Amino acid sequence: MGRDNGKMIRTKDLTFWQKLYLPEVFKGLSLTLSQMFKPKFTYMYPEERFQPPSSFRGRPILVEENGVERCVACGLCSRVCPALAIEVQASETELEKERYPVRFEINMVRCIFCGFCEEVCPEEAIIMSKEYELVFSSQEEAIFGKERLLTPAEQVRERLEFLRNSR
Amino acid sequence: MATITINGTEFQVDAKSTIIEAARANGIHIPHFCWHPKLSVSGNCRMCLVEVEQMPKLLIACATQVADGMVVKTKSERVIQAQKAVMEFLLINHPLDCPICDEAGECKLQEYAYQYSVGYSRFEEDKVHKPKRVPLGPNVMLDVERCIMCSRCIRFSEEIAKQPVLTFTQRGTHVVLTTFPGSELDNPYSMNVIELCPVGALTSRDFRFKARVWEMAATESVCNGCARGCNMNIWTRNNEILRLTPRQNEEVNSSWMCDYGRLETFKHVNASERLSGPSVRVDRELRSIGWEETVSELASELRGFRKNEIAGIGSAYATNEDNFVFQRFIKEVLGSKHLDLLPHVIEQVEDDLLIKADRTPNSLGARNVGIEPSSGGLSASGIRNAINDGSIRALYVLEDDIAADPEWHSVLQKLRLLVVHSAVQNATTALAHVVLPASTYAEKHGTITNFQGRVQRLQPAVATSETDRRMDGLAASRWDKFSSKNDRWGRPVKFDARPSWRILVSVAAALGTRMKYNTAEDVFGEIANVVPVYRGMSFARIGSKGVLSKSSPVPVKT
Amino acid sequence: MDILIASTKIAVVLAAMLTSVVFLVLVERRMSAFIQNRIGPNRVGPYGLLQSVADVVKLLMKEDIVPAKANKPLHDLAPIISIAVAMTTFAVIPFGNAIELFGTTIKLQIADVNIGILYILAITSLGVYGLTLAGWSSNNKYSLLGGLRSSAQMISYELSMGLAIIGVILMAGTLRLDVIVEKQTEYLLGWLPAWNIFLQPVAFITFFIAAFAETNRLPFDLPEAEPELVGGFHTEYTGLKFGLFFLAEYMNMITASAIVVTLFLGGWHLPYADMLGLSGFALSILQVLTFCGKIVLVLLFFIAIRWTLPRFRYDQLMSLGWKVMLPLTLANALVTALILLAF
Repeated sequence: MGRDNGKMIRTKDLTFWQKLYLPEVFKGLSLTLSQMFKPKFTYMYPEERFQPPSSFRGRPILVEENGVERCVACGLCSRVCPALAIEVQASETELEKERYPVRFEINMVRCIFCGFCEEVCPEEAIIMSKEYELVFSSQEEAIFGKERLLTPAEQVRERLEFLRNSR
Repeated sequence: MATITINGTEFQVDAKSTIIEAARANGIHIPHFCWHPKLSVSGNCRMCLVEVEQMPKLLIACATQVADGMVVKTKSERVIQAQKAVMEFLLINHPLDCPICDEAGECKLQEYAYQYSVGYSRFEEDKVHKPKRVPLGPNVMLDVERCIMCSRCIRFSEEIAKQPVLTFTQRGTHVVLTTFPGSELDNPYSMNVIELCPVGALTSRDFRFKARVWEMAATESVCNGCARGCNMNIWTRNNEILRLTPRQNEEVNSSWMCDYGRLETFKHVNASERLSGPSVRVDRELRSIGWEETVSELASELRGFRKNEIAGIGSAYATNEDNFVFQRFIKEVLGSKHLDLLPHVIEQVEDDLLIKADRTPNSLGARNVGIEPSSGGLSASGIRNAINDGSIRALYVLEDDIAADPEWHSVLQKLRLLVVHSAVQNATTALAHVVLPASTYAEKHGTITNFQGRVQRLQPAVATSETDRRMDGLAASRWDKFSSKNDRWGRPVKFDARPSWRILVSVAAALGTRMKYNTAEDVFGEIANVVPVYRGMSFARIGSKGVLSKSSPVPVKT
Repeated sequence: MDILIASTKIAVVLAAMLTSVVFLVLVERRMSAFIQNRIGPNRVGPYGLLQSVADVVKLLMKEDIVPAKANKPLHDLAPIISIAVAMTTFAVIPFGNAIELFGTTIKLQIADVNIGILYILAITSLGVYGLTLAGWSSNNKYSLLGGLRSSAQMISYELSMGLAIIGVILMAGTLRLDVIVEKQTEYLLGWLPAWNIFLQPVAFITFFIAAFAETNRLPFDLPEAEPELVGGFHTEYTGLKFGLFFLAEYMNMITASAIVVTLFLGGWHLPYADMLGLSGFALSILQVLTFCGKIVLVLLFFIAIRWTLPRFRYDQLMSLGWKVMLPLTLANALVTALILLAF
């Protein structure tokens, strides 16, 4: 089997040498053995850490601007979330946006990092960060409230630019 | 009758009807904003434009009467172009703040934007800015920017609620909906404009930003605010009632519901003064103990009285099932003749539209199933006097705050035993010796009978500690369906309360009488057997719109 | 005196085997990592040398879980059978020529049995009982399937294994392993070592393939087959008992390599070593080291094959065993016999 000019060619009948099997085994062996001397991909974590590119989908965060979240608690992220990880409770604010999330919780045990919430957000208020080191010692601890989600916009400038460019 | 052709199909229609009515009667939807079957025709939104053969221009279906031989096209190229143009005009100044707007999810403009609009905007200029967050009255909030000037609310206030306080001022794109100076939208039916409004211009102040509509589950039920029994939907999220909206039933409430019914009849279900778990008075203090202990204690207390020392007060707030089991309990189990209920009538509030003077939902039903003194028994005032002179020493009260009445309050203290079924803490539970927490109308199955004699179904919308939303078949939202104990929304507040009929069955069992009821439907099955006016009825036959009982005291308006 | 010598030999061989298992596991993990462009365990001790020690400690401290309704005595017995078989097979393998020590000549072979090959075949056949019993006693469908597969696989491949050896036995005219090795120390045409791999190439290949199947190594690890059977016969084993299976598997690998070396690769024979003019003692040590070196090479081949080839499908395994291996080995035995008869 192989690809040729984008056309799939299926070999139904094996040649005599392929049927003999042993030469193919040695071909395979030479491939695997040659891999042994190639450069390795392993990161020596914790000393050496992965620096994600801006396209990386780490844990979702809420963007904070001028001391308040951009979020207007429309609940679209909550609706679109395939794992039902997000819970939003809206309330009224005196600010021009009228509506804000009085409670915004992401159950990080449920979150699957798909980024749908970021994609659906009409306010660019929930975005995926670069943070991938998530450790909890209880179910309760895995529920992230506003205090852990809010991140100043300056800290996530890179991702915001990436989102704008990839639109 | 007239014969008209719509989209190539011939229909026999009422010669006096308009095109939109004729189409609707035959299941053809013509998009519309300003037209409403219960209101006068205004013809200002232009959304219902249709093509009529031999007419040079498109006609609005809501204001054109049918004629014999008329040929109508609702989906022709011209009509579709016109619909797109109308949608484009309407959306030019609409703020498109759906993420903030409470109407999102049940918005006619949103739906039509999907179905009849081009899907993008060519408008690059600044939108017109108008007042936002304007309270029109105590219950309704106005956002003028979202308004599409259909005038449904104006016509409703004039024609149905008879309070003509709304009007448009200014012209063109600057039109503003407002109340006349010095007046506000405060009629008893003001909140109906919220459902009438096809966009989010008029929203509920009570429900404002509480939840998105798709997060809630709706349960068909009946309002308990007065003897009308308006059909309604109970909207719950996370086991909490957030709003009540009218459900159409032409025999009872048309499409309307009063503000009192919408706002005042559900707050107690999730209130902090809800009773959870039974309690017994020990040394002047109410102590919470388990159901079994309470029931056995109550049974042994009740054994200590002679038959004519006990009396029962039924309830026009409770269901037919509760009252039926209650009268059996008082008359057969306790052997008392003294049984009655207290009426709650406020003559001044009654009007011609919906609101009834009888503030209880089931006074007729309670009487029908036998809440009345046996021959030789005492009526309510007689019971009160008998308590006062000491000949009645034990009183069993079903779901009614009788101590709210000062005359009763003063005599109740003389009782040796006061047993109360109640959903919330109130003046009567404060005096009671045994308090049994009863489920509210939103937590149980049952039937109530309105002033017309129409028997209507109540269905549980809120789970109690012994019911499970999914297992017991309550309406469930996506979040209800997929919750687990690890989620905050999987751990709703549940109260430890039971339907009164079930509490009574267990007390009767402790007193040695077995009543074979397992479900409210079992009780109603027996009611349908033994109460003549309900003969032959069943939960299935009552359905979602109710059934008129055999001897209805009031002729039904149609 | 004989008992002392015998028990010393047992202790030395057993200790050598156990330590080699420890390093074999590490080598396998590091080698697989390198093949997959990874690094592998390198944190415990220098270069990760103590990783296996950590694993052993972990296995010892783990809870021993026996499934409900499992047959507990058999569940306990199965890993013991496996490990006992793995340990005893090595007894007849000569790991060197005789050595002169303290004035006595000591044969570098624990038990000098005159039916050595038969002994090996008999003992390795017992090994399957361990796996089958483990699969059956666990009261788990995956375990049972794994157990059944291992019995079927063993029966199919033991036949070819035995038939492959027939050729070697015919050539040697004996079942004694030390004599078989002795025969291989000669030279063909004056320069080519008379190893059986050159005299019996077909037998070598078939025997080697059968050895893979007998040790349940990829591409023939169907009794375990993680993706389809969870863990096969050892699904329901934890802690020490799982450790015993694990140990047995690697000891079997070493034993199988030793048998391959003995039967086909000249055993302890290092070609032209006798021309170096070494003293008898030094030569003996060199021969033992040669034997070990050959085993290591075969083991590395075992490991490389595991991380190269995908697992056979069950029907492929059976058709290979019965339709290819069996006729091939039969023909080989027949041809060998005919040639020997003719000359």
